[in-house]
Amino acid sequence: MIKSNLDLKLLEKCAGCGACYSICPSCVIIPGYDPREVIKDILAGEFDKWLDSKHIWQCLECHYCLEMCYQHYGFENAMTALRTIATKRGKYPPQVKRGWDMFAKSSRLGEPAMPARKKFGLPEPKASGKDEFLKLHELVLKAREAEAKKTGTDRG
Amino acid sequence: MKDFAVFWGCTIQARFPFLEKSSRIVFEDFELPYKEIDGFTCCPEKSLIDNVDHEMFVVTAARNVALADEKGIDIVSPCTGCVSNLATVKGELESNPKEKETVNNLLKEIGREFDGSAKLSHLVPFFHDSVGVHKIKQTIKKNFEGMKISAHYGCHMIRPSHALRNDDPIDPVKYDNLIRALGAEAVETDTKLMCCGQGLDRVDQHDNALHMARMKLKELIAAGADALTVCCPSCFLQFDNNQFLMMREGEKLGLPVIYFTELLGLALGHTAEELGLTAHRVSAEPFLKKWAALTGDNQTEINDGLNAVGEL
Repeated sequence: MIKSNLDLKLLEKCAGCGACYSICPSCVIIPGYDPREVIKDILAGEFDKWLDSKHIWQCLECHYCLEMCYQHYGFENAMTALRTIATKRGKYPPQVKRGWDMFAKSSRLGEPAMPARKKFGLPEPKASGKDEFLKLHELVLKAREAEAKKTGTDRG
Repeated sequence: MKDFAVFWGCTIQARFPFLEKSSRIVFEDFELPYKEIDGFTCCPEKSLIDNVDHEMFVVTAARNVALADEKGIDIVSPCTGCVSNLATVKGELESNPKEKETVNNLLKEIGREFDGSAKLSHLVPFFHDSVGVHKIKQTIKKNFEGMKISAHYGCHMIRPSHALRNDDPIDPVKYDNLIRALGAEAVETDTKLMCCGQGLDRVDQHDNALHMARMKLKELIAAGADALTVCCPSCFLQFDNNQFLMMREGEKLGLPVIYFTELLGLALGHTAEELGLTAHRVSAEPFLKKWAALTGDNQTEINDGLNAVGEL
């Protein structure tokens, strides 16, 4: 499962220089947060043990590790892959689920605040692309289903 | 200058409409050719959407870009997250023709096509590069001489650099140049490029989020900054709202957080009320009072913030 979410060959090339660790804000402030440990386990085929850990949600996706990595990889990619797998198994913070559900239903993460708009004299907001978006979502799911049938695998 | 569509994003319109107000004011004052178009959705946000379904992340962003592509216009956004997410997908599709084809096959069924011709810009580098520091200096009516202001770029204004290519991702200068163009001293700090930490609130880790906000605020207060300026609704939420929550618990903070468009709007001669600074949860008054004293202007007094508009 991890292979469809992460390029392990690239991950194996990590030279362990530690530039990512030295610049990561979560590594600075959160005791016990060290994605290098996670990567070790991924390479040893033991990524499963991190799926319940809150640490995989502590990556801020600030992309700083990506910029500092001389291979332009960064451990953020490994954390993103684990979050995706955890999510597929229904293991995610409640807020992530709420956010996704609102997005899937309305195409947005919040609707324009109408009373406040009026107070500030702002014009009527432009229409969202909700209908098109819902159709697109349906098309994506259909294509995925067809692909799964064809290959007989769950791409997840 | 080419016409551009404003991509307001969900957060500004849902939670901080006053930031839309100040953005409109500065667009008008600089007579910028901004358009508003129907059909935009969430960019979409990376941590909530990409982690759950990468394919939906990609097609949704591609569709948003396609709306500007087909009108032959660019996109400018006052939200760093929106620009970064749209640019990340644009970069991914431009470097992967096969994926682009798959996405376009899907978009075709709803009558859209992504070609990536729309240039995507965040408002800060846009003002720096397309409006220009010289033009800004010529246009402003008042400057911030004697004020110390620190820029928080926000991770996604400049990163990932391979997709955004708008400033140095580990030593950016443009926001600081703009502060100096407005006459203020640009305060440098050790936490200049540190993530604001708001992402931790999105995954139910509020205490860690507060901890990160505190680190930056304390450093800035110790450095004698009069204000922190941001141009990202997520960073604004972190430093304004979360700072307010910490102050309510008795922490001595109180550093005004001023959006880039508000700062520019003040320099253009607009009042704090007009720009919506009254809706901030942390009062901007200490900043405005000091500035008024320096400029000998009594017009900038405002009522203390915490009005209903800023309620969450």
